[in-house]
Amino acid sequence: MSASSPDFILEAVDIEKSFGATSVLRRADLRIARGEIHALLGGNGAGKSTLIRILCGLLRRDGGTLRVDGQEEASPNAIAVVFQELALLPHMTVAENIYLPHRHRGLERVRAAERREEARAALAQIDETLAREALDTPVAEIDLHQRQLVEIARALSSGARLLLLDEPTANLTFAESERLFSILRRLASRGIATLIVSHRMNEIRAVADVCTILRDGRTVVNRQPLTELSDAAIVEAMGQKGAMRAETAHAAIRATAGTTVSIEGPGLSVTLPPGSVLGLAGAPGGPSRLIDTLIGANTDLHWRIAMDGALRHFAVPAEAVRQGVGYVSGDRAEKGLLVTLPILDNVVAAARIAGRRWFAGRREARVTQDALERLAIKAGSIDDSPLTLSGGTQQKLLLARWLERIPRLLVLEEPTRGVDIGTKREIYAIIRDMAARGAVVVWWSTEFSELTEICDRIVAFDLRGTVSGVIEAGNISEVALARATGMAA
Amino acid sequence: MTDTIAGAHRDADSYHAPRRASLGVRLLRSYRTEIAIAVAIILIELVVSLWSPQALSYGNIANIAQASAPLILMSLGVFLVIATSGIDLSVGSTFSLTGMIAGLALSGGMAWPLACFVALGVGLVVGAINGGLVTFVGLAPFVVTLITFAVGGSLAFVVTDGHSIAILDPDFWRLNGGELVPGLANYVLFCIVAVAALEFALRKLVLGRWIYAIGSNDKAARLLGIPVWAVRFGVYAASGLFASFASLISLSYISNSEATSGANMMLQAIAACVIGGASLFGGTGSAIGAMLGAVMITVIQNGVNLIGINSFWQGSVTGLVILIAVLIDRLTKMRA
Repeated sequence: MSASSPDFILEAVDIEKSFGATSVLRRADLRIARGEIHALLGGNGAGKSTLIRILCGLLRRDGGTLRVDGQEEASPNAIAVVFQELALLPHMTVAENIYLPHRHRGLERVRAAERREEARAALAQIDETLAREALDTPVAEIDLHQRQLVEIARALSSGARLLLLDEPTANLTFAESERLFSILRRLASRGIATLIVSHRMNEIRAVADVCTILRDGRTVVNRQPLTELSDAAIVEAMGQKGAMRAETAHAAIRATAGTTVSIEGPGLSVTLPPGSVLGLAGAPGGPSRLIDTLIGANTDLHWRIAMDGALRHFAVPAEAVRQGVGYVSGDRAEKGLLVTLPILDNVVAAARIAGRRWFAGRREARVTQDALERLAIKAGSIDDSPLTLSGGTQQKLLLARWLERIPRLLVLEEPTRGVDIGTKREIYAIIRDMAARGAVVVWWSTEFSELTEICDRIVAFDLRGTVSGVIEAGNISEVALARATGMAA
Repeated sequence: MTDTIAGAHRDADSYHAPRRASLGVRLLRSYRTEIAIAVAIILIELVVSLWSPQALSYGNIANIAQASAPLILMSLGVFLVIATSGIDLSVGSTFSLTGMIAGLALSGGMAWPLACFVALGVGLVVGAINGGLVTFVGLAPFVVTLITFAVGGSLAFVVTDGHSIAILDPDFWRLNGGELVPGLANYVLFCIVAVAALEFALRKLVLGRWIYAIGSNDKAARLLGIPVWAVRFGVYAASGLFASFASLISLSYISNSEATSGANMMLQAIAACVIGGASLFGGTGSAIGAMLGAVMITVIQNGVNLIGINSFWQGSVTGLVILIAVLIDRLTKMRA
């Protein structure tokens, strides 16, 4: 093993960590050179999140050595994690968010003008327009992708030389992601390294130089240039051989029974026979309004929904659920999981509503058990908290809700967000199965590759949120989608 | 054995279906907090009996049961609200106001069962106001119940201009001390029935699961189709009703209405829920836990009296116990 080298901003060697009896990291290695963009890959449960939490000091390691800048006792500010939006104070201005957190002496007077200038300088390194126009705007009023940039500015102003980005593009459009990447490249040229965790292969190839792959808590690929690794080699290293095997060419699913759903609205009129899968593509604004209408969360009167020819108007989600509308969001923490309730309640919650049940009966344990087995969900027990499951497994759990009674209309909002390739395949299979059993599926995703693979028809929304076109089965391609949504490279 | 959806089975060999422990083990696990409190209560009693042997006498235990009954009933209602991640600060005022209204009705010659119904109406009205402002107007539970706490507390003085009322009805004691079931005083019976019914509802009725679901993640609960507003409204109404009922049980024993009777009870009821394992963020705890928490608070008060410590220390001891309870809870959860 090489001695500590000044070229590395971070050297983590033989890191070990276990939680109770489960060892999550067993001798994981990660070395990051100054000014490189480094991808950390691995399946769900490989230990990526745990490793990151150890690197930024949120968790204590059980064993191994960690050197930052060649020193064991690193300055706490050298590594900064860029969280998704959550770490900002929404009511304070952009400038305050950048400078406040780094002032440890609480009694010191805030020299506002001076600090504001520091904040401006930090933000200008990243985005001059934002620095010029939004410095005094409350964070709550700027866009999600702009908040991310504010977080990066904050990290820079505190002297960070390594940024940790966990799934940074999960909520970004293609164009926004591209912008983020170009910023990261610019920072890299100034010696600031980035560790990026993502499940999107295209993206990783576009932005990262080298990668480290974890599998079962061990480093299986250590600092390899991405140009030397094929997609297949990466997938194999992650332990998901077979996941890449293309599904048997997917013929349009023809369900024998089910409900025909039609959707009419500005610029759109589609009729969806049972078993069809309609994709929604584009920036969040447009698709989310249609989805909220479909599930009764927030009705937009521009959209008209009919089931088997009868017009349906859902004032609250309960009505939609009773009419057989199922919903799964990739935003598990916010819109999906009941975290303090056991897995059982999480699975049967929907059937209780749809079936107008009064009793939480004995039968439910069996139903839950069956659902978990059918979806091959690895859980200790149906009485455990859903938080004991990895992110991808939690996502499968949300789908399990709709297995007992197949919904007439299944509405999916980025159901594979933050999920590894292998689990994505499983989720596709589950959804195909539900379609084959008569469900009409409406699926919004920001990943064009997944839409092109699964959908019969795709509605594209442009950046203003209006329908810009319907792409029929024969013409679906990532290029066509990029053109229609304005999110092209 | 069920068939797995094609493709959902990534690595068939390594997959094990989740197993379920036996019912006994599951009950032990899900009630471990409650069991720990019950053990702690017994330990406290044993320690107290070192100083004062009558601590374990039948008379003293009956005393504890009598003294804890009103707090138990109030804590059950507060627990329902806390389980939905709300809070009810108004229960103490409701308790006082109910006592005064019941006192007025009884001294005005109303038959006692009828007076009880009127008094329960007080709790229902206050609870409905709380629930209405929280669910329909969308105000924060803390603020809403702070308002009804203040108004209710002052109305308790207003209705009799601050005078206390002695209850002269010769039969009203039956509500508390009578024996609907021979050999079992009503106050014990009511507590047992209320705890058992709530515990059953919370675990075995879909409605009960909804209460936890709302406390766990109200956005997800709404999207699932759970009638969030109706359940929320219901728990505040129930909390008011329980506070009024607690007040009647207490009044039936003490036979004297005072406008300050419930002054300390709101904090004690919240403390009882917290000791019993409820999180103020909602979604956890149990009715049995709230009951045991209330018993523990009473046992501490009783012990402080028996040992002969100045009763001004009661609050400090209770505070210490709450601290210990939440620390133990935190530690066990960190390890899990």
